[in-house]
Amino acid sequence: MAKTDPKKNFLVEIKGVTKTYFPRKQFFARHQNKVLALNGIDLCIETGEIFGLVGQSGSGKTTTGRLLVRLEHPTAGHILFNKVPISGLKGPELKKFRSRAQMIFQDPYQSLNPHLSIAETVMEPLVVQKIGTPETRSEKVIHTLETVGLSPGKAFYNRYPHQLSGGQRQRVAIARAVVVEPEFIVADEPTSMLDATIAIQLFKLLREIKETFGMTFLFITHNLAAARYLCDRIAVIHEGHIVEINTAEKIIRNPEHPYTKKLIKVQPGFKYGR
Amino acid sequence: MTLLSVKNLSIGYKTKKGLLKAVDNISFDLEKGLPLGFVGESGCGKTTIGMALMGLLPENAVILEGSIQFQGEDLVRLTEKQWRKVRGAKIAMIFQAAMNALNPVHRVDEQIKEAIITHQPDMSDADLSDRLNALFDLVDIPVARMKDYPHEYSGGMKQRVIIAMALACDPDLIIADEPTTALDVIVQDQILKEIRKVQQKIRTGLIFISHDIAVVASVCDRICVMYAGQIVETGTKKEVFTSPRHPYTLSLLGSYLSLDNLDDIVIPDMQEPPDLLSDIGSCRFADNCRVCSETCKKEEPGWVQISATHKAFCCEPQIIRGSHGKN
Repeated sequence: MAKTDPKKNFLVEIKGVTKTYFPRKQFFARHQNKVLALNGIDLCIETGEIFGLVGQSGSGKTTTGRLLVRLEHPTAGHILFNKVPISGLKGPELKKFRSRAQMIFQDPYQSLNPHLSIAETVMEPLVVQKIGTPETRSEKVIHTLETVGLSPGKAFYNRYPHQLSGGQRQRVAIARAVVVEPEFIVADEPTSMLDATIAIQLFKLLREIKETFGMTFLFITHNLAAARYLCDRIAVIHEGHIVEINTAEKIIRNPEHPYTKKLIKVQPGFKYGR
Repeated sequence: MTLLSVKNLSIGYKTKKGLLKAVDNISFDLEKGLPLGFVGESGCGKTTIGMALMGLLPENAVILEGSIQFQGEDLVRLTEKQWRKVRGAKIAMIFQAAMNALNPVHRVDEQIKEAIITHQPDMSDADLSDRLNALFDLVDIPVARMKDYPHEYSGGMKQRVIIAMALACDPDLIIADEPTTALDVIVQDQILKEIRKVQQKIRTGLIFISHDIAVVASVCDRICVMYAGQIVETGTKKEVFTSPRHPYTLSLLGSYLSLDNLDDIVIPDMQEPPDLLSDIGSCRFADNCRVCSETCKKEEPGWVQISATHKAFCCEPQIIRGSHGKN
């Protein structure tokens, strides 16, 4: 599957990662339940690419994203970030890693703290990472808000999440991830809650951010069309296994795995009389 | 034959900041046994219409004007007691959140039985069980799973049960409000096929509401596109997809990512829709419109008829009639 090409520069390498969840045991249950979310996956993400991870609900795509930013630990296997295994990181090194790998969550209605103003939300990573002084921080926040299309930044600075639309909230979530200038961002279905016209504008923004900052993205989605639009390469994940990895174009034009073919067949489109 | 005729319907919500006009002067007809799709972004009023047709508007909602004619009755005037005879029996709803629409402590068949008995208390046990079997058969759930609890079902099966429940009393009109939004693509495909199949088989009227224009297109032959509380374009599926006229429909189609249209994606530069708390009195799409003129910022748009079935709501009839194409 993922062949390691020594010429290529991989920012993230996943080697034989398995993740098993143990749901809380029912009081009268005789056996402990086990859920195998990921079953020995191998995946390499090149520096500077947008890598798409596509699969249906329960396929393990979100688990993969959470493992990569160390919100969870793999049951077995290794994850390398810049050739360094992230499972061994501790203390200051871990904190450093947190500023280098960020996440954008699916639901902007739940991922923003309603009690924090937009400024506080976006500034928090800077405060935690002790970047800059209070003055330079607020400048940085305004600049970042404008980068993500919330301009003028001052107009949004003191607002609260409930005063924003879904699309604007997701832009705030992107600003919060981008403000520490990470190398790697995991975007977990960032537009699945948003309307088509808003979603496409966010895709454009993610592309711009990639160009401007040279960031590497893992884009998690169930929408193959979106993955093809945004990504350089796509991996299709099914029941905890990666079933196919290829360039976005090849996955769509010449799918090899039956599951990929099925996914392509069920994508909604306009061919009326479908 | 017309099953449902909505005329000049306006619905507002009383809020702390004043009256929010969520649905503004909407009219449409639905023929007996046909599907009609409503598409628009969140907050455009499509769910409010669905709720009004079910008599389930929240307490702070007021029907400001208009009528909903259904089988010779004006639904707007019904009392709650009269609604009980209509809701579920003649008009039924397929809800969005299949996960929350079923009661977790009752067996699935009991919940459907309850829906039937409420409206047909005299039905014999044998008839009831025949009806249940027929319903489960119709939505492709094995009869053996009938006595399960909802948590034993997958998301797709729960949504099928919701469909069966809506069909329980053989309604004349079904309202499906985002029935596949919470499901992933594969299950969505199955449920859409199910809805299409069932609708064609039992020939019920269907109002299908979704934010996803391709999903609407896969079920409905006629489509209404909504923006900021108004219908801005309506026509057959073919008309709306192959020759969209309203600038909003164009940006909606142009920004929709599907596997066949990647090369001609147009990224709209859209602002938020206008604040519905104030009286707008001009075209609501003006700020986002590529062909907006001075008239659009001053006057209310009017309907521009393009064909017998196709019309668009705009201030600029010449531009709408001339094909201004996808760009």
